[in-house]
Amino acid sequence: MAEVRLVDIEKKYGSFLAVPKQSLTIHDGEFLVLLGPSGCGKTTTMRMIAGLEDITSGDIMIREERINDKPPKDRDIAMVFQNYGLYPHMTVRQNIEYPLKLRGIAKAARTKRVQETADKVELGALLDRRPSELSGGQRQRVALARAIVRTPSIFLMDEPLSNLDAKLRVTMRAELKHLHHELGVTTVYVTHDQMEAMTLATRVAVMREGRIVQLDTPKKIYAEPADLFVAGFIGSPSMNLIDGKVSDGVFRADGVNVPVDLPNRDGVVLGIRPEELEITDDATAPIGGQLYALELTGESTLVTLRNGPVSACARGHADFEAEINSPCYLTPKPGARFHLFDRASGERLDGVKH
Amino acid sequence: MRKPFLYLAERALLVLISVVVLFPIAWMFLTAFKQPRDAYSLSLNFEPTLQNFVTVFSDPWNLGSMVLNSVVVATVTVVIAVPCAALAAYSFSRFRVKGRKFLFFLILSTQFIPAVVIVLPFFLMFRQLDLLDTRIALIIVNLAIVTPFVIWMIKGFIDAIPTDSEEAAMIDGASRLRVIKDIVMPMAAPGILTSSIFCFILTWNEFLFALILSRRDAVTLPVGLVSFRTERGDLWELMSAAGVMITVPIFIMALFIQKHFTRGMTAGAVK
Repeated sequence: MAEVRLVDIEKKYGSFLAVPKQSLTIHDGEFLVLLGPSGCGKTTTMRMIAGLEDITSGDIMIREERINDKPPKDRDIAMVFQNYGLYPHMTVRQNIEYPLKLRGIAKAARTKRVQETADKVELGALLDRRPSELSGGQRQRVALARAIVRTPSIFLMDEPLSNLDAKLRVTMRAELKHLHHELGVTTVYVTHDQMEAMTLATRVAVMREGRIVQLDTPKKIYAEPADLFVAGFIGSPSMNLIDGKVSDGVFRADGVNVPVDLPNRDGVVLGIRPEELEITDDATAPIGGQLYALELTGESTLVTLRNGPVSACARGHADFEAEINSPCYLTPKPGARFHLFDRASGERLDGVKH
Repeated sequence: MRKPFLYLAERALLVLISVVVLFPIAWMFLTAFKQPRDAYSLSLNFEPTLQNFVTVFSDPWNLGSMVLNSVVVATVTVVIAVPCAALAAYSFSRFRVKGRKFLFFLILSTQFIPAVVIVLPFFLMFRQLDLLDTRIALIIVNLAIVTPFVIWMIKGFIDAIPTDSEEAAMIDGASRLRVIKDIVMPMAAPGILTSSIFCFILTWNEFLFALILSRRDAVTLPVGLVSFRTERGDLWELMSAAGVMITVPIFIMALFIQKHFTRGMTAGAVK
């Protein structure tokens, strides 16, 4: 168990600023997800915690102890890599046993711990195989077993599920969640998959260009994105973002009229989630246009309408049917909320009327 | 369907090349078992004898001491060069030090210097140190020759190993040296073995330096061969017998290389 604090850490590669100066506290027992598109500095941040990457300036504290200059082996962390990082010349048993062996644990105790851990991740029958004889999911489990076998105080996971197929990813996701619940170890998890972030995290740190743009619970990030980037990044399908202007207390774009509490201005973006819109025949609805596409996803139908440059998507009933190019209107469901952003800075604007 | 003519032409060419390549080797093997009078004959009809092997191992040829010199020089060279080169190769492969590329080029560039040019300074140096005609001198010279080559070769193998496993080991609790011992070397083992064998062959066949730096005590097999050119003429049957003694160990090693080389290619890392 441990709290991790990053204090004013900064990372430069030569003159390139990978992670600008910022601080972050990861609470004891928390599952913190670093989320962002590739190249946003999330992996670099994790590797700095691991000690695989030097820190240009700032401090990393684990349990209030400054660990900047400690080698990875003395930080009491375990890490799961995207490509698993298994030892191909060792059997599954030797792979899992290796961290224990390095810590000088006696043979009998090692054997017992390896067996227990392997059983926990359902590898018990595969202990004498080599990694090359395992499937992707099984290899991932070996990496996981090797990480949990010595109960470190912090887990670091670098996109551990991204090499698995979609179905296995969902299963493993649940297993990870369960494992965290069971072990309660502070976990830092890097991903570019917003769905993984939402489902696993206690808190999510959304990163962009090295900077944390929002740090909050998944619920809060979904309901109240701090800026345009987070709004567009979280949610699938992503939030409708409509460019327009405010005049006379109404947000206006082609076919869109939404009353807002803002002074007249240009360069405003209106956001609303597809699942918070419903289809209506009412021609006075806030959003109107021609039906552009219908996509059946199974449990629902995604309805996209267009009006000039404006495009909006709603999650409708699976049975919904209509002619393409016919007039179509969308209205917010009860309790749904609009979001307003400044086009130029991306910042969130207050002024939504409920 | 391929044209039968092309197929035949291809086969004929292959046979021709094989004959050109294999004839001298076959000739050497046959001559090694011939009487002196049959040495120049191309006939396969001769009375085989082992006398040549007995002769080369007895006075005045004493091939035995040359075999020993060659074995000692080549083995010690490999045993010193390969571990040093492996560590150097790892450093060149993994550490991003300023001037790394230049240093690597510098080490490789020593290979471009013609041996004939530097053999005299070496001779003078070893004379000063009183090391002429010793195995130590030959080992030092061979180390200088093969180490850059082996560094370059092993670096190629280490470059191909993904760093994931190494980083995993460091987090699992291993020091850098432990990582090299437990993770990198086993993963690079086929490559290191291949490099060792190449290193052995290079040293085993080294001629020029051995010729200049040895006289009587430290003579190696390739130099020993020259001594069969006497005022009585070239003793081909004895030279062939000695040639067989040089070739057979290398031949066996070549078989090894093949087996391990293909394994080195396929072992790889786990994705």
